This record gives sequence, structure tokens and C-alpha cells, in this order.
Amino acid sequence: MKKIALAVTVLTGILLLYAAQDFPAWGDLQSPASASPVSKHFIADTGVDTEVPNMVTAVLADYRGFDTMFETVVIFIAGIAIIGILRRTGADADAPALKRENEIAAEPDLIVTNTVRLLVPVIQLFAFYVLAHGHVSPGGGFQGGVIMGASFILVALAWDLPKAMDRLSVDRAVMLAGVGILIYAGIGLFSMLLGGEFLDYAELSHVLPVSREMARYHAMLGVEIGVAFTVTAVMFAIYANLSTRGRLEGGL
Amino acid sequence: MSENSIALIFVFPLFGAVLCALVGRKSRNLCHPIAVASLAGALWGGIETLRRVIASETNEVSYYFGGWNADAYPRGVGIEFRADYLGALIMLVVVGVAFLVAIYSKLPVAEETPEKEGPFYTLFLLQVTGLAGICLTGDAFNLYVLIEVAALTGYGLIAMGSARAAAATFNYVILGTIGASFYLLGVGYVYMKTGTLNMVGIQEVITANGLADSAAMQVAFVFICLGVLIKMAFFPFHAWLPNAYFHAPTATSSLLAPLVTKVMIYVMIRMTLTVFGVDFSFENTLWTEVIPWLVVIAIVCAATMALAQRDVKKMLTYLIVAEVGYMVGGIWVYNYYGFIGSIFHIISDACMTLCLFLGVGIILRKRRTTHFDGLRGLFRKMPFTMGGFFVGGFSIIGLPPTCGFFSKWYLITGGMLAERWEYMVALMFSTMVMVVLFFRLIERIHLAVTESGENIGHGHGDLALPESETFFDEAHWTMLVPLLLSASVVLVIGIFNQDIVNLIQDFLEPFDLPKGTGR
Repeated sequence: MKKIALAVTVLTGILLLYAAQDFPAWGDLQSPASASPVSKHFIADTGVDTEVPNMVTAVLADYRGFDTMFETVVIFIAGIAIIGILRRTGADADAPALKRENEIAAEPDLIVTNTVRLLVPVIQLFAFYVLAHGHVSPGGGFQGGVIMGASFILVALAWDLPKAMDRLSVDRAVMLAGVGILIYAGIGLFSMLLGGEFLDYAELSHVLPVSREMARYHAMLGVEIGVAFTVTAVMFAIYANLSTRGRLEGGL
Repeated sequence: MSENSIALIFVFPLFGAVLCALVGRKSRNLCHPIAVASLAGALWGGIETLRRVIASETNEVSYYFGGWNADAYPRGVGIEFRADYLGALIMLVVVGVAFLVAIYSKLPVAEETPEKEGPFYTLFLLQVTGLAGICLTGDAFNLYVLIEVAALTGYGLIAMGSARAAAATFNYVILGTIGASFYLLGVGYVYMKTGTLNMVGIQEVITANGLADSAAMQVAFVFICLGVLIKMAFFPFHAWLPNAYFHAPTATSSLLAPLVTKVMIYVMIRMTLTVFGVDFSFENTLWTEVIPWLVVIAIVCAATMALAQRDVKKMLTYLIVAEVGYMVGGIWVYNYYGFIGSIFHIISDACMTLCLFLGVGIILRKRRTTHFDGLRGLFRKMPFTMGGFFVGGFSIIGLPPTCGFFSKWYLITGGMLAERWEYMVALMFSTMVMVVLFFRLIERIHLAVTESGENIGHGHGDLALPESETFFDEAHWTMLVPLLLSASVVLVIGIFNQDIVNLIQDFLEPFDLPKGTGR
């Protein structure tokens, strides 16, 4: 069996090398990906179409916003699936918790908790900055959401899970994750109801006092906020469920 | 609203899914009606889309997300959904099957995954969103994203069953991820050589730049096909499927078994015909020589393994693997009629597999087992259920007037005209195995045979059984009605097969496929 695996691996490697000889040269301006009308349009006209200086965000949240919506849905699915698989129900839920060996019921460490107390506000503020600045500089909903989610996990690490769940319970996290999707898809649906295609943010200029381009600009911030909601909530929900095997109690 | 019908197909299930997640914790009973209602909405959008495709002059309808249409902007700037006869027909099958399973799922979900209705229906609806999107998307990367949506929800839906289901899912996760990675790597190579992700755009660049001999493109093609073959459980890569579908909750296996493998075969047809083009796929490679032989091995092995099973549900999972072989073969014998057969078989196989899995779910609920020993007397207990189940069974065998007969007819015609005798022989062999499988089942159910094989009926069949084993005890109507509907769909598609084949022919006409042997 191992020999077959080795042979398959070698064969795949040979295929990859065979393909590599045909790659465009490093940094070639005439390579198909650089010279295609699509890339040229992104580079030359992103500002014209959307007023967004960061063209990566424009590609992500507007030109290919439909992909990004489903990427957010993928994160949502991950959270829901883990909760669905791990959550204890019925008689299972009342069963006494597994007695773990070597469990130390330690008090939260003074140095750690005080450091975290100082750090968490800064982390969360930075998360908002990364989120809100996404269409001007590198950043956006995914990054901001991850930073935000990490701050809640940090609380759970420094104290224990109930302390973190006082601030964001898993039920509320599921709700927030759903609200995130609702914000993203809702903006898409709303622009469809205003007469455009799904996710055609320009149509929002009918209700916002701005031009069609600026409507795209603002809607991108809107969908990024939706993404941030989902990512924050799912990060924490996955951590809480995985670290306690779905029981949602105790420390690590 | 009609011009947005393509968007409605997934808007309804997407919002329904989020709604299920939001209300699922507090009021679980709302989840089932939400799922049924949103799939009814999606079904309406799907029918409207097919109607528009038929009405359009070019036989296809494009929908540009975000308004980045190809008239005002370069093609491929935004994401395009493109419904043609192929995509629209299979999308309609996906949504229709999901609608029936949603009705059916009320009792099994409440019993097998208690208190988890919220997560279950959320994943259920997102699964449908992903699968329906795969059928319509005109963008190679968007296809990957939707494959991921469908795969992840599938893992979750299967693992919610017993502990053994979770173990089987782990296998599926590993193999599914490998398959998806191969596909993604292939798409990366394609983008590097063509500079676009739009399917029509890729085809235009391949023709314009003469990329048929490009090594990177050929490796990309190999990787994409390999990824899709793993995802569709083609024979040597099938190991994840039987256990995952066998241990999955009833509602899950009824949804996934008819759809997932079939949609992946759609992806393969889309890749060979639309993206890489007929010349690239079938004339520049060794594939057309090698794959039909792999198909023969796949069909024969899967049919033989099905024969070895002693459990109805397990047997059906191996039948799926064999059917995958049929359809892959229909593509790679490279013949016009083979393609008709493959596409028609996607539709008919989805319907008949649905029929069988719905029936098996009812048996499982009534008897707590699907092992051959537990089937005695079922004809008299549940005559309607077993009638519906065996309509599906006869369709798998290929008896007229069920749809299975006509799709198999086109597949065999294709194999014959392409002079692929080995493929024909494999199909015939598999057909005979299916005859054995299903008539053995009828015998098991009908005759009063004890577990040790002794016939206590002495030729009187189940009349000899005690009253306690044969009193009339039909399934609940929420489970029986979807089964009977799916059985009648199997018959209706069979009787009106010519109308569907006409649409498929309209789709295939521009590709100029050989009507005889393409070699």
C-alpha cells in the first residue's frame, strides 16, 4: 500500500514538473493573466466603477462579490455543522461530564488576566479599524472578524469559557452569524428589488443620497460588516464547541 | 421578477437556511415548513428559468451578478450564471428532488436527529443552494466555491447521524478535500494560461491562442477530471461513498444519494464540452482510449460488490457507484448518442435513486433494519411503499416504460455506434446483475423464508405468514406521498422521454459530436 502511495506521489510530482515548463515567465507583463482584458479593466477602471482605491477589495466585494458571499456562507456552514454534530441533546445532555484525569481547577492567573484585560479593548479597536479601512488599505471583513473573534477566545483562555460566554453565548453567536449572512445577502436582495441584478450595489443610489459609484463604495463597507459579523461569531462558536466537545462548560 | 428567476433559485433556500438557523433553537417546529416553503419558491424560480431558456432564441439565458454584464464590461469581470438546456434541466432535477425530500424528511429528522432540526435544515437548504448553483454557474472558480458549499454541508448532514456516521464522514472529508484541491489546482493552471475564469471566455482563449498542445493546459485538464472523478466516487475512488451514505440519517442519504454524484457528472460534461471544448478533450489525448476501459472495470467491480451485499441500503450505495460508471462511460465513448444517454441518465438516475432511497428509508423506519432478513412480508404490510420502491428498482434494471430503459438505450446505442463493444458488454453484465439483485429482493420479501433459509410457506408465499407479520401498516403520508410522486415521475419521464431528449439534442447540436466512431 505504501509503495502504491509512493508511486502515485511521484507520478503527481512528475505531472507538476511537466506542467511547470509551460508556465509564463516570472513577472512577464505579457503573460495571459496580466494581459487579459479582465486584469486591465480591474487595474484601470476600478476607481471609475466604484470609487474604491483598494482594487483588491473591489474585486473581492463587488466584481466577484457573489463568490465572497458564498465564502462567507462556507464559514457559516462550518459553524452550524460543528454545532449540529457536537451539541448534546435529550438524555445525552443530562449525562454527567466526563471526569478528566489531571484536571487542575486552577484560579485564573493574575498576571495573565490583567494583561488580557488591558489587551482586549485594543484588539477589538484594531479589529474595527481593519474592518472599516478595508476598502482603502489592506483589510476587510474576514481579517477584522478574525481579530474580533480572537479577542473573545483570549478571554476564554485567560479566565474560562463561561466568562467569555457571559459576553457572547453560543446561541447568540449563531444568531450573529446568521445576521451577518442576512446583511450580505440582504444588500444583494435589496439591490435586486430596486431594479438591478442580485448584488448590483449601484442600484442603492436610488435610496442613498450618493452617486452610483459611491453607492458601490458604501455597499462594500456594508457587506464587509456582514462578513465580519459571521466570522467573529463562527470563530468563537467553533472554539467553544470544539474545546468542550459540545458541552459548553469548564475551562480548556 | 421573471428576469431575476435565476437569482430566486438560490435566494429562497439561502434566506430559508438563515431563518432556520435563527429560529431553530427556540421554535424547532418551524424549520420544516420553512424548508418546504423556500424549496417551493426555488422550484418556481427553476421552472420559470427553464421556461425562459426555451423561449430565448439562443437557447441560453445569462445572468450577471452585480450588474457586470458582458455588453458593457469585458467578459469575466464579474460572475455570470448561464442557464442552457443542460444546466437548467439538471438544476430543475436538483430542486425538484430536494423539494420531495424536504416533505419526506419531517418524521425521520425528528426521530433520528432529535432537537437538531435547526442545524439540519440550515445545512439541507444550503446543500440545495450549492448543488443548484453548480448547475448554473458560468464561472470556473465560482464552481469551486459552490462545490465547497455542497461538500461541507454534505459532511455536516452525514455526520449528524450515529457515531459510525461521523467516522465514515472523516473518510469522506479527506477524499472530498483531495478531489476539491485537484479541481482548484487545475483551475489555477487554466487561469494562468488563459487569464480568465469565465467558462465561455476560457474556451475562446483556448481557440484563439491555440492552447491545445500546451503542457500546463493538459495537466490542468487531467487534474480537473481527476478531482471530479474523486468527487463523483468513480470506481477506484469510491471508498468514501458506501459507508457515508449507509450510516447517514435517512433524510440525508435520500438527498445526497440522488444528487451529489450526478451533479459531479454534470461538471465533467460541462468541463469537456463548454470549457475545454470537444477538440481539446477528445482528440488530443489518450483519454478516449483509456477511460472506457476504466469504466468497464468500474461497472463490473461495483456491480459485483453490490451483489455481495446483504443489506438493501448498502446494496443501493454500490449501485450508485455502478451508475456513475455508466454515465462516465457515456461521455468518454465520445459519441453523440452516448452524450444524450449520459445527460438523460443523470436525470433519470436522480429520479430512480430518489425513489429507492425514499423506499428504503420507510423500511428502515418500520423495521429498524434494512438487512435482507428483516424484509419478510413487506408487500402485504406496505403495498404502496413497496410498489413505489420497485418502480425505482425496475427503472434501475431498465424495464420499459420507466425512464431507466430509455437512458440505458441511448447509452448502449452510443457504445455500439462508437464501436466500444467492451462498454456495451459491461452495461449488459451490470443490467443482468441488477435483475438478480431486485428479483432476489422480491423473492426475499414475498416468500416466507426463515433466517436459516428454510421455506415455511411451502410455495404459498407470504400467505403462510402469521397475521402479526402481515397486517396492513402503511407508511405515514408525509413519507408515502413523496415516494409515490417520485415513482410517478420515473414513469412520466419514461413515457415523455422524447420531449426531454429533444431539449438535450438542441443543447448538443452546436458541438458537432461524431455520430459514429470518433476514433
